[in-house]
Amino acid sequence: MITLKQIEKYYTLKGAKSYVLRHIDADIQKGEFVSIMGPSGAGKSTLLNIIGMLDEPTYGSYKFMDQELSSLSERKRIEIYRNHIGFVFQAYHLIDEMTVEENIEVPLHYKNISSSERKSRVADLLDRFQMVAKKDLFPHQLSGGQQQLVGIARALAPQPLLILADEPTGNLQSAQALQIMDLFRQLNKDEGITIVQVTHSEANAAYGNRILNLVDGVVTNNS
Amino acid sequence: MFRLNLKIALRNLWKNKGYTFINIAGLSVGMAGCILIYIFISYQLSFDQQYANKDRIYRVVSYWKYSDGEEFQNGVPRPLAYAMRNDFSQLEEVAPLQRGGGVVQVMDEAGRVKMKTDETVFYTDPSFFKIFDVKWLAGTPEQSVTEPNTVAISRKTAIRYFGDWQQAIGKSIVFKQVNQLKVSGVFEDQPETSSNPIQILLAYSGFKHRQLKEWGSVSSGTECYVLLKEGMKPADLAGTMQAFIKKYYSDDSDVKQEHFFQPLSEIHVDERYGNFAGKTTSMREIYGLAAIGLLLLLTACINFINLATAQAIGRSKEVGIRKVIGGNRKELLTQFFTETITLSFFALLLACVITEAVLPALSGLFKDELNFSLVNQPALIVFMFALVLFVGLLAGVYPAVVLSGFNPVLALKNKVNVGNSGGGSLRKVLVVMQFAITVVLIAGTVVIVQQMKYMREKSLGFNSSAIAMAYLPNDSISVTKFDIIKARVAALPGVTSVSLCSVGPSSSDNRTSNFSYNSTKDMDFMVNTKAGDEDYFKTFGLSMLAGRPLAKSDTLKELVINETLMRKLNIVKPEDAVGQYITVLGEKVPIVGVVKDFINKSLKEGVSPIVLYNAKNSMSELAVKMDTRQISTLMPQIEAIWNSYYPNYVYSSSFLDDHIRAYYESEVIMGTLLKIFAGVIIFIAFMGLFGLISFVATQKTKELAIRKVLGATTLELVNMLNSSFIKLILLANLVAWPVTYILVSRWLSGYAYRIDLNLWPFMVAMVISLLITVLTVSLRTYQAAMANPVNALKNE
Repeated sequence: MITLKQIEKYYTLKGAKSYVLRHIDADIQKGEFVSIMGPSGAGKSTLLNIIGMLDEPTYGSYKFMDQELSSLSERKRIEIYRNHIGFVFQAYHLIDEMTVEENIEVPLHYKNISSSERKSRVADLLDRFQMVAKKDLFPHQLSGGQQQLVGIARALAPQPLLILADEPTGNLQSAQALQIMDLFRQLNKDEGITIVQVTHSEANAAYGNRILNLVDGVVTNNS
Repeated sequence: MFRLNLKIALRNLWKNKGYTFINIAGLSVGMAGCILIYIFISYQLSFDQQYANKDRIYRVVSYWKYSDGEEFQNGVPRPLAYAMRNDFSQLEEVAPLQRGGGVVQVMDEAGRVKMKTDETVFYTDPSFFKIFDVKWLAGTPEQSVTEPNTVAISRKTAIRYFGDWQQAIGKSIVFKQVNQLKVSGVFEDQPETSSNPIQILLAYSGFKHRQLKEWGSVSSGTECYVLLKEGMKPADLAGTMQAFIKKYYSDDSDVKQEHFFQPLSEIHVDERYGNFAGKTTSMREIYGLAAIGLLLLLTACINFINLATAQAIGRSKEVGIRKVIGGNRKELLTQFFTETITLSFFALLLACVITEAVLPALSGLFKDELNFSLVNQPALIVFMFALVLFVGLLAGVYPAVVLSGFNPVLALKNKVNVGNSGGGSLRKVLVVMQFAITVVLIAGTVVIVQQMKYMREKSLGFNSSAIAMAYLPNDSISVTKFDIIKARVAALPGVTSVSLCSVGPSSSDNRTSNFSYNSTKDMDFMVNTKAGDEDYFKTFGLSMLAGRPLAKSDTLKELVINETLMRKLNIVKPEDAVGQYITVLGEKVPIVGVVKDFINKSLKEGVSPIVLYNAKNSMSELAVKMDTRQISTLMPQIEAIWNSYYPNYVYSSSFLDDHIRAYYESEVIMGTLLKIFAGVIIFIAFMGLFGLISFVATQKTKELAIRKVLGATTLELVNMLNSSFIKLILLANLVAWPVTYILVSRWLSGYAYRIDLNLWPFMVAMVISLLITVLTVSLRTYQAAMANPVNALKNE
């Protein structure tokens, strides 16, 4: 599904290149649950952002579903991205001015899905995450774990093939963290959604079937 | 999507109540100003537009070119209309419109006079109504304005005379004591927006004048309207006009005379020619107001842009999220425009309330009937929605582009820095622009106020205070009573001096005449002629440079000339002028004195060359100078004496001071408007600055805290923030000064007598703008600087 070849990312500061990522080669198959691990500043989030098309590599080739991304137009890339990728963040990043229901609905608006279809998908997700009673609350009225559930529901709304999670449990208490990780495993197992997560925690990494270790921008271990 | 966007827009506006309030307050005041200006301008442009043939109706006007100037006149020679009817095949209709006036007596059933009024009447013929489609309630133009012994009146006049217009037909009125006229038609009242305020209409065949066949005399009371044939343009008539002028005017004169076809739509907006309604609003004023409206809107939009970009940091997270979950730039732009347009819409609602509240005052200022009615003015609705869209898009485009352009990764980390990137410098440019506009307006207002004060205090060369001017009828019988009336008024205790004259030293009623000096050929300029008796000089306090004032006389026997005429005749010493002969008004008479120049028109114009002479049949006013304290008791006594000699005429009087003040009415209006709009723009700029500094203070909380920890005092912090803004305001002043200088010099050049432009207005504008800035910035930053630094730093 994802093929990275010789991905490099660097910034030029006063003539000197400062590397964030070097010679990254990786393959991620459909249905995998991959964890990217490594110390702070290793380039984990940058790699995730490149996979998520929020950032572009300075050099190298990135194929998503056998399409070379650098050869695609901006419009086409957004098209792929909208239809196939969902993001989950450490800090949830819900829109403060929107209710739970509206937050989940936003990506569907961007996909130009009909009103009735939107309503039914949002209702399904609310039901599945047992948030029906909370649908009219605003993010600041929810606990962290609940906000992250909304975040995941929002990522799932467009029915993506790939979910990218950047330290999804980093801000959560352990009980809630467990709940979220169980949910990820379930999504991976039952629905075949490919998941790539960035994490610090060995325990969380254990939920996945593969670990990509990153130190100073270089993959040291791909098991 | 739109509904969701709207909902989010409303929530966002509600969340930032302070920002919303500042934006809406500034915008609505700016919009209200625009709506008011729109109403005023559309009212001015609606003049004479109610006729079906409006695009084919033209007025014939006159133009003269002299060796040292030119003259524009709404009037035409009296025989012109009928000559044109014969000579121009391109014209469908030609109609004369002659103004006249006199006392109208309305009789009751028993034949007694039940009402006596002084009225303006118009003479025309039925073709006038083929040009202008006026609705007739009773009778027809053919019945009413063909025969000399009939009269048609407007509905309002009919009600005034007879109580009910249905009863007017067949009744009689007496015009000018002798003409018994039968009412044979009643027509609908003409709207306020008409340049021909016709109330009483007589047949042109009944108009008598000794110069009825004279091509050399033009009065502003004689107009001529034409209806061009379908498909004709005034340019198509140029050739015929050439031949026409050649046919009727001798070409051996130095003066070149021409006639133009003036479109109906220009009659109200071309102040060079007058009109019968006496109301014009020049296109210059209309453009000026439109420019002020645009400036108002611009300042309000600048506020909007400033506040929105400053606030962008707070919105960066939302933008980041929307981009991450699939929103593209277009969708984000739509969202931000939804917000700005929603905000403009609210501002419009408030602007409507402000407009409604302010309109009566504006109507009063312009002495016009303006109204704010959406039902009757569908164009206004279109204008208002265009305004909302314009403001929403203009004010929204920059913030929307900036916000939607954020990199999502940086935006989510709150790392976009609007303050130091392009947004910050744009904001500075906008603040400079806004304050430059403010400075131009303040300085401009100060100059206008100074010029007005100068004109009020400028010595006119004569004394105008406490002088009443009473009208005198000057038919041959009335003239015989002049001396006795003068003597009786002069004998009243409290009356200092009385003079019979044609007009006061300064008047808008100026009669000019050609004349010759030391030659049989006329000079190439005209002189202003004023009649005054032996007491004229004493009554108005005119001072002589040489010779003596006019002596008592009943007919033209001698002249006093003014300094300007003396110089134009190339006489150096006033003494040399005395004893010279001038031929004017058909007589060759000696100059007996030279009077020191006095302002004979408004201060906008220079002094005309003038001759003063004493001749009873030219007198039409009685000037009475009195003790200021006794004015109120003297006026009724003068009226009583007057009425005892002229029972059949209607008394009217006015004060010379009021008359002079009337010259400057448009300056007073302009001054008042500028003061108001300068105030409004200062207010808007102040709001904008306040909003902006609020964001800067929030943004700099951390910096202030660190500086405080390092030992800065509150005052030092306030000063630090002030200094950056003060630099901007000083820059704004530098930008504004040359612009102001150019604009103000151009305005002042319209006045023959004007103040010397000095530094004061510029200084005042600078001080006011600086004061506002320091006050606003200090007020807002003091709070931020006073905060406990620990709280600010803890957040990191």
